[in-house]
Amino acid sequence: MKQKLISSVQIILLLALTTVGLTGQSYPGKPKIIRCRSLEKETFSCWWKPGSDGGLPTNYTLFYTKDSEEKTYECPDYQTSGPNSCYFDKNHTNPWTTYNITVMATNEIGSNTSDPQYVDVTSIVQPDAPVIVSLEAKTSASIMSLWAKWSPPPLADVSSNSHVYHYELRLKPKEKEEWETISVGVQTQYKVIRLHAGVKYVVQVRCMLDLGEWSEWSSEKCIQIPNGQSPPEKPTIIKCRSPEKETFTCWWKPGSDGGYPTNYTLLYSKEGEEQIYECPDYRTAGPNSCYFDKKHTSFWTIYNITVRATNEMGSNISDPHYVDVTYIVQPDPPVNVTLELKKPINRKPYLVLTWSPPPLADVRSGWLTLEYELRLKPEEGEEWETIFVGQQTQYKMFSLNPGKKYIVQIHCKPDHHGSWSEWSSEKYIQIPTDFRAKDMVVWIVVGVLSSLICLIMSWTMVLKGYRMIAFILPPVPGPKIKGIDTHLLERGKSEELLSALGCHGFPPTSDCEELLIEYLEVEDSEDQQLMPSHENGHPTKNAKMIRKETDSDSGRGSCDSPSLLSDKCRETRALPSTVQTQDVREVQENKGGKRSWETQGIASEQKTLLNNESTKSSTWPAAPLPNNQPSMFAYHSTVDAHKIILSTPNVNIASVLMGNEEKHQSQYHITETVHDNTEERREDNLHSKTDQTTVLVKQNRPNDKSPFLNPKLMDYVEVHKVRQDEEPAVLLKHKENSGKTEKYTVTGNSKEYTKVSTVVDHNILVLMPDSRTQHTSVSQEPAVQTPENLHQGQAEKNMSYCLTVPGECKSETSGSEYMDPSSFMPSFK
Amino acid sequence: CHTSGMLTPNGKEYAQKIPREELTHLILKLLQAWKEPLSHFNQYIEHHQELPDDSLSKAKQISNMVHELKTGVEKSMGIISNALNGMASSEAAGLSISNEANMMSDSDFIHCFRRDSNKVQSYLKILKCRIMPENSC
Repeated sequence: MKQKLISSVQIILLLALTTVGLTGQSYPGKPKIIRCRSLEKETFSCWWKPGSDGGLPTNYTLFYTKDSEEKTYECPDYQTSGPNSCYFDKNHTNPWTTYNITVMATNEIGSNTSDPQYVDVTSIVQPDAPVIVSLEAKTSASIMSLWAKWSPPPLADVSSNSHVYHYELRLKPKEKEEWETISVGVQTQYKVIRLHAGVKYVVQVRCMLDLGEWSEWSSEKCIQIPNGQSPPEKPTIIKCRSPEKETFTCWWKPGSDGGYPTNYTLLYSKEGEEQIYECPDYRTAGPNSCYFDKKHTSFWTIYNITVRATNEMGSNISDPHYVDVTYIVQPDPPVNVTLELKKPINRKPYLVLTWSPPPLADVRSGWLTLEYELRLKPEEGEEWETIFVGQQTQYKMFSLNPGKKYIVQIHCKPDHHGSWSEWSSEKYIQIPTDFRAKDMVVWIVVGVLSSLICLIMSWTMVLKGYRMIAFILPPVPGPKIKGIDTHLLERGKSEELLSALGCHGFPPTSDCEELLIEYLEVEDSEDQQLMPSHENGHPTKNAKMIRKETDSDSGRGSCDSPSLLSDKCRETRALPSTVQTQDVREVQENKGGKRSWETQGIASEQKTLLNNESTKSSTWPAAPLPNNQPSMFAYHSTVDAHKIILSTPNVNIASVLMGNEEKHQSQYHITETVHDNTEERREDNLHSKTDQTTVLVKQNRPNDKSPFLNPKLMDYVEVHKVRQDEEPAVLLKHKENSGKTEKYTVTGNSKEYTKVSTVVDHNILVLMPDSRTQHTSVSQEPAVQTPENLHQGQAEKNMSYCLTVPGECKSETSGSEYMDPSSFMPSFK
Repeated sequence: CHTSGMLTPNGKEYAQKIPREELTHLILKLLQAWKEPLSHFNQYIEHHQELPDDSLSKAKQISNMVHELKTGVEKSMGIISNALNGMASSEAAGLSISNEANMMSDSDFIHCFRRDSNKVQSYLKILKCRIMPENSC
């Protein structure tokens, strides 16, 4: 039978085999990747499950690609993780890439590839389970606790063990089914409480990295909780206190009871006695306390007190506590804290705080002497102010702020050997606002007074505001420049202004060319002649002041500038020493002819100018040239003379001032001023086309207000302006050379030379044309004999002019270009 | 303490029961009993100079105070009975110079002195309030 069975089986087997063999070997089955796992995110492994091998030995190769890369890699390590696994070590693991893993099974016939598995390392992290190191059961104070300690999962690469694991613990009584899971955190130990005594517990732990999955639970560990029966722990005596120095109480703190109900007994003995007593009263003072009443309290003896804890298992005794009641007195806080506001007459009201000692303390017999201390603070304040009061039971408070609310507390202490009591309950003080009539009256008076003062002040301000302001804040004086009149500036009449400054002839008048200048020569010999002007052909014009800028040595400048007289004029005349009105008359008489002499600046302008105390130079009509052409002579003369003349109302006529002394002088000093009013007529007559007149006035005598010229000092140079195209001639009348005038041709048309720029070689006077009139040529005066004198004369002219002009010395207001009149100024002073 | 043998009331009631004179005697006895030990102590610490200076001066001060106190009490109460006084003082003097007094260690000395001074103070206060109750009693 058996053999038959066996053989039938064999046959079946053979058949199966042949069947298999007939069917033949085939390519391997498709492997399947079971799982991939990373232990710590730095390495990972993958396992696969082979398919059928097709009967032939099969090789398995794992290929993988990283995402976004084309290259295919092969598994680096087939061994580490065991058979059918691939281990990717640190170098091959990139946590941020996704791996596409496939396993290929290859045998002789063919191959088969598994389905691709996409692996993201971070998602397959699962650490190994931790290992429980120890479990301990402890009992403290009748509480059972279990201490569990474990270690992190072991890693192949120990060096990289810097990972932080999160742990979880679970336990259950062995017989039970339900686990109690506790999250532990990153600790590797944990204390479990609320355990049942006498029970066997099972404990397991697992861990997890920040990301990933929980590891597997560690292997189970069991522990038996003891029943906790042990003798009690040692109690401790906390404190003993006497509230009134007659009784005292002691308190103790029990230790753990060891699981059983424990009895506590207090035992004491006194100093010098052997006998041990037990606490007379456990109740009065509460649990865990002992109250010694009066009978049992002795002073000045030391008590030796101990507490014993007893339970079924045993007993335990506390450390001894030595107590001398005298020194453990702590009274109760004072009571009956009262406040009273006292208002004595003529004094500030104050507050009296009274209290009474605690009721138990026997202060009356002197057995217990108490000292008091109080503290107070404003209701909103933070810090207490502590005041030691002493043995009195009252306190007077003076220095509290009215209207505020205060909190006050008192406590006490035996005067010797004791401790402070608790603070009494808070007492609130409300200080009444002291509203004294006296204060009020004072404030009212002050208010009224101040308001009155304000009123008065505002009133005065209103009425005399400006004066006050001026008084308080005097106005800042503006700069005062002589010759500049701000009003003139404001009015904007440049002519006047400039003439005030002494700048003559600016802007140059257009018709200056037309003007003939005639000058009036006044001689000592009364041989006055008036130079006829060539006004015949010229319409009478109001003589305008042609201000020659060169002459603009206003008063002084014009003094200095030598004035040129025409030869004609000079030669024949001798300067009269005195100005005579006769001259003027003569002039008048002579006027009949074509003579006219221009009065300088006869125009009202001149007058106004003069009135404005500006030095002007006026051009005298020059002596007619031989050619009888109207010529303009302009010579500078100080306008001061004008002023002088004008200022003297008596002077009606432009007078020529001449120095008295020298008759042989060839100096001509002519000043002519014409008053508008009186000389209207004359003016008309005198007007010539030339509107320039220069008046050279020199005066040597400061006292003499009359316009007298000092012939000695005076010398003038008259610029004779030739009217025609021919070069204007500069005629210089030399001082010594009475009749000699020299004529200088001056280049340029209708130029006026009113300035002397330099003196050369003591002989030569270099004249500068008036820049404003745009003369360019400079004429030189040959052989001025006394150039120095001239200069001096000029200076003196200036000076004299200054002197004569009463209070109207404008020495340097003109833009004298060749002389700095300021240099002469000091001499005047 | 060398004065432990002395019978002194160790409670308020006892102290209040004792008549005035007796209490006074007690006080004086106590004060007397400390006279010698104090002087001994002063000499001792002077020689040894282990303590800081202010302690030395304090000790001297204390002995002076004790002496003054004794004198004062004697004066204020002395009229009561000189005879008793004499007896008490001799007894106290005996105590004072006893061996016990000399054999005390420093800490014992200080401890005993403190206690006795407290006794004296308490008795005196009781006395005061008994004699003059109006003054803060």
